[in-house]
Amino acid sequence: MSPAPRGGSRSAAAVREGKTGGRKKFFVRRRKVCKFCAEKLEYVDWKDVKLLQSFIPERGKILPRRISGTCALHQRKLQTAIKRARSIALIPYATD
Amino acid sequence: MRLYDIVALVTPDLTDEDAQKVAAEYRKILSDGGAEIVKDEPWGRRRLAFPILRKREAYYHYFQVSAEPAIVAETERRMKLSDQVLRHLAVRADLELKRAAKSAERQREKAARRPPRPPAPMLPATPAEAPQPIEKGGSS
Repeated sequence: MSPAPRGGSRSAAAVREGKTGGRKKFFVRRRKVCKFCAEKLEYVDWKDVKLLQSFIPERGKILPRRISGTCALHQRKLQTAIKRARSIALIPYATD
Repeated sequence: MRLYDIVALVTPDLTDEDAQKVAAEYRKILSDGGAEIVKDEPWGRRRLAFPILRKREAYYHYFQVSAEPAIVAETERRMKLSDQVLRHLAVRADLELKRAAKSAERQREKAARRPPRPPAPMLPATPAEAPQPIEKGGSS
């Protein structure tokens, strides 16, 4: 039930990489932080196209949480913001 | 009274002035209905992310109003009927803002409850500064 194993293995990997350089590829994974929490943005503005664009990859889909690192609360807010922006053509539904 | 964000997309077939006139029409509807207009921003002619009714551009006009729901509903109805408005969006803005204010306050309270941090250890910055006055004294 504890979240320890993930953090533990990660830091161990970082230590190993630092010491030996290793035959296997270890890369230090940057800890992902929710952008909105970090910048204390409580409210995700659907009018802020530049901000939303950073969560829209090439294809026009919404960037998943597991990649962007956004927390659940802010991902939900981001989702509604993106959908609103889409409905008035600020952001594409899909691009090809 | 509730706070609403309203955006209207006006046809690019009109000139800039005519688009402003269309916006003014809705401004009138809103204010006649007793709405208080908080923000009134023309975003100008923008490229659409995808074509709407074969149009690739539109004039965006943004209102933020404090109004009764009925007036906003009426404005939306007229926008829907209008041929000059390609698309519109009207959403409540106060819920989000209120929630944001509340959670910001909660965080502040949390921070206040937390015991104050022990003072940071003083960095040995003073010795570096100390020699400077002596040099200045020597030069003058």
